[in-house]
Amino acid sequence: MQRNLLSLALALAFAAPAHAANHREAPITALDHKADITDVYAFRSYDGDPTPRVTLILGVDPLLEPANGPNWFPFDPDILYELKVDNNHDAKPDLAFQFRFSTEQRLAGLFQVFAGVEGGASAPANAPPLADGTPTAGSPIVPDRIVGFDSPGLGQLQHYTVTLVRYNADGSVKSRQLLGTDLPAVPANVGPRTMDYGSLFNAGIQSLNGGVKAFAGTTDDAFWIDLGGAFDTFNTHVFPVLSAEQDAAAANIAPDTVAGYAVNSIAIEVPVAWLTETGKVEGADSPAATIGVWGATSRPRTTVRRSPEPATSTGPWRQVQRMGNPLINELIIGTGSKDRFSMDLPSNDAQFTGFFLDPALPRVINALTGGAVAIPAPPRLDLLPLVTYAAPIAAAGTPAGPVADLLRLNTGVAPTDPAQASRLGLLGGDPAGFPNGRRVFDDVTDIALRVAVGGVLAAPFEGYNPDINGRLGDGVNVNDQPYRLGFPYLADAPSGRDRRHLDPGEPGCTAGGGNDCPK
Amino acid sequence: MRLATRCSPLLFALACALPLPVFADASPAQRAMAAAEASLARQPGAEGLAALALAHARRARETADTDHYLGAMALLDQAENLAPGNALVARNRIWVLLGQHEFARAQEAASALHRRHPDDLMVLAMLTDARIELGRYAEAENSAQWLLDMRPGNIPGLTRAAYLREIFGDPEGALELMAEALRRTRDGETEDRAWLMTQMSHLSLSLGRLPAAARLADEALAAFPGYHYALAQKARVLAARGDAFGAATLLETHVAAAPHPENYYYLGEALARAGRTAAARAAYAEFEARAVAESLGWDNANRELVYYYADVAGKPAEALAVAEREIARRRDVATLQAWAWALHRNGRQNEAWAAMEEALAVGSREPELLRRAGLIARAAGKVEPAGRLLGEARRLAPWLGDGDTPGV
Repeated sequence: MQRNLLSLALALAFAAPAHAANHREAPITALDHKADITDVYAFRSYDGDPTPRVTLILGVDPLLEPANGPNWFPFDPDILYELKVDNNHDAKPDLAFQFRFSTEQRLAGLFQVFAGVEGGASAPANAPPLADGTPTAGSPIVPDRIVGFDSPGLGQLQHYTVTLVRYNADGSVKSRQLLGTDLPAVPANVGPRTMDYGSLFNAGIQSLNGGVKAFAGTTDDAFWIDLGGAFDTFNTHVFPVLSAEQDAAAANIAPDTVAGYAVNSIAIEVPVAWLTETGKVEGADSPAATIGVWGATSRPRTTVRRSPEPATSTGPWRQVQRMGNPLINELIIGTGSKDRFSMDLPSNDAQFTGFFLDPALPRVINALTGGAVAIPAPPRLDLLPLVTYAAPIAAAGTPAGPVADLLRLNTGVAPTDPAQASRLGLLGGDPAGFPNGRRVFDDVTDIALRVAVGGVLAAPFEGYNPDINGRLGDGVNVNDQPYRLGFPYLADAPSGRDRRHLDPGEPGCTAGGGNDCPK
Repeated sequence: MRLATRCSPLLFALACALPLPVFADASPAQRAMAAAEASLARQPGAEGLAALALAHARRARETADTDHYLGAMALLDQAENLAPGNALVARNRIWVLLGQHEFARAQEAASALHRRHPDDLMVLAMLTDARIELGRYAEAENSAQWLLDMRPGNIPGLTRAAYLREIFGDPEGALELMAEALRRTRDGETEDRAWLMTQMSHLSLSLGRLPAAARLADEALAAFPGYHYALAQKARVLAARGDAFGAATLLETHVAAAPHPENYYYLGEALARAGRTAAARAAYAEFEARAVAESLGWDNANRELVYYYADVAGKPAEALAVAEREIARRRDVATLQAWAWALHRNGRQNEAWAAMEEALAVGSREPELLRRAGLIARAAGKVEPAGRLLGEARRLAPWLGDGDTPGV
């Protein structure tokens, strides 16, 4: 109608993207902390029970400072949290576990959402009366210490539902099964006076029908890394090539930047037969044994077309983030594509093949070490097991499927006894560890570095040196806190009162032992 | 005076705050031009040239002076020589191509750049623009949805989605998003704010809300005095109110500010309605000469030329020739409508109705479209749609009338 009327170019009302923090790998998630996925874990449960089960864990809401009251860290009722599974190797979900939360505020008169002291505290004899003259002496002021979900001091209580959605081949919903409803979420660990966090944690482990267990709550951040060193252009506090002794140590020689921080975790344990395409427990040599797992967070979207029913709460959704393998978006995907990666579907990952098969990270390591760390030439077909169904994770005969960032798990591989397990997973000769799924104690930073510089997932290349390429690491080998040995396998959230973070030069706590452990 | 700027060359200049007391009354584009020139003086290079080109493109929108696009393109060519393949240069070139109405080339360039930089919102926004202009609405909806999803509430996404809502027949929903965009646009962005208010005035008018349309047009002119889009919009409001003389007078000011061929056509229409026949003839003559001169290019006034030949000059064959040329290039609602009208005037009523049905299928409820569609339906013997469409047009915009007589 008018010349240039449609030159709609208008001001960009947002700042330049920043890409500099772990767990905030894309600009979109840097702006949406609650929907930010920290980690996805998928592994055969290793609690010693002989029934084959798989545990899936989704971590969200990174680097929670445990002392950060008075509201702490509720899950966001506006977010759809999902753990998705592909079991027929097309990188599309065949089933998904969906989690939705609701929040109840129960301590309207108090200034913080959790409060308690052993035996409770009442107004003493000299407490002044109310403004209208009503005496207060003897009336309850502070609730009893929180020991369970019924405790009155638990002023902010979250409940959640777990729904199993199964999909048809065309992506339409085949069935929705409510696995659990009104399940209580475990709150932050405020401190020992206020609550018995351990009791709440144990009460938060919910047994559902069919041998399923579910858990949601604020826990220890199971990840560990020299985060500050890694993102200071790979200026880790120890030289990135570990000695044989350092590499073998079940102890840290560099500070775990994530120590003393909490994260919100969602976990579910289900029988293996629920997950495979055949509905059976498959042997490790069966193509049907290997599944692909990823987590996703989504929020309701504003649609170009207005919905005829704008009040519906079931979507449509816009995906904020997804994660399969650790560190892919953070360390592999280029900065101009991180949002697209976060928001797109794994089945569309062919568009990122260039990043997967010629990643920048090994080139950076190669350059920063002046060539001491040799790297193979692209295309990096040795990285295909991370992004397709391939050996050594998937059995021979498994369809490779499209390039897609899924955490692949061969459900036929028996779990390794934690006492015998290697933090280096497959690279350490432990067939039940990353990149065959991912356990909480797998050292994905060291594994990812070694995988990235090549020579470990495929035959060594010209220039490969097992004492260099094979020993890259950040010097953080274990978590600061001891993990549980049963579902949900996570450690307690640090106490807000007594949490301790680590400074450079402090190797810190080693799985609950050592000089620097919090009380 | 050395200009302080907080602009990163990687950002669009218009997103940057420029505290420039010396330019207190300068427009956003003028401030961006001054900043870009100062930055270039400090550090010559491709990105500075690209920023200056963008500032010129913005100035073109502010002033309707399309010579700024030519200047911008020359700067971008210079920048490209200095830094072949530079993404900022490529991005700003798409902007200029859109301004020059080179929609097919803009779409091609935007698609290629989007593949390289999928997270760049402005590239996605411009890709959406090009798709809308070419009538590729499903693809446009897809890219607009990505825009909305990537940064909920981002202004480029809101405006594109609003425009699509209007095209899809939801002016109320479009108004909602335009108002949201306006709330999010900073005060200093006077031209952007005026543009948004003008759009809101236009949407209000298409909903039959004359007082709101008048108020918003006035607010746009207060925000950016003399703004050519707002002048034209205010003239439409006056015409809708029956003030044909006032509308014509305002359009005389408009055409002086923005002497584009199509603006002479609308001036001619208004003058004719005001009974100023001689002046109308002069405006139409000026229109025809200018519109014919650029009819073969992409940046043309061919849709108006179709209506002129069909309704004013009594040259239906010429109208159809122009319409067919244009429809071969783009199948957007407005071009379909003009093509249908040319067919109608040539007595090819069934084909006219088929073209109109294609336009209506997109969903638009724009009163002028409904009115023309109703008239074509009537001529094609489609009694039910004719009554319905004319009734709806009459309800929304009674001032349009439903006469179907060519000639002034």
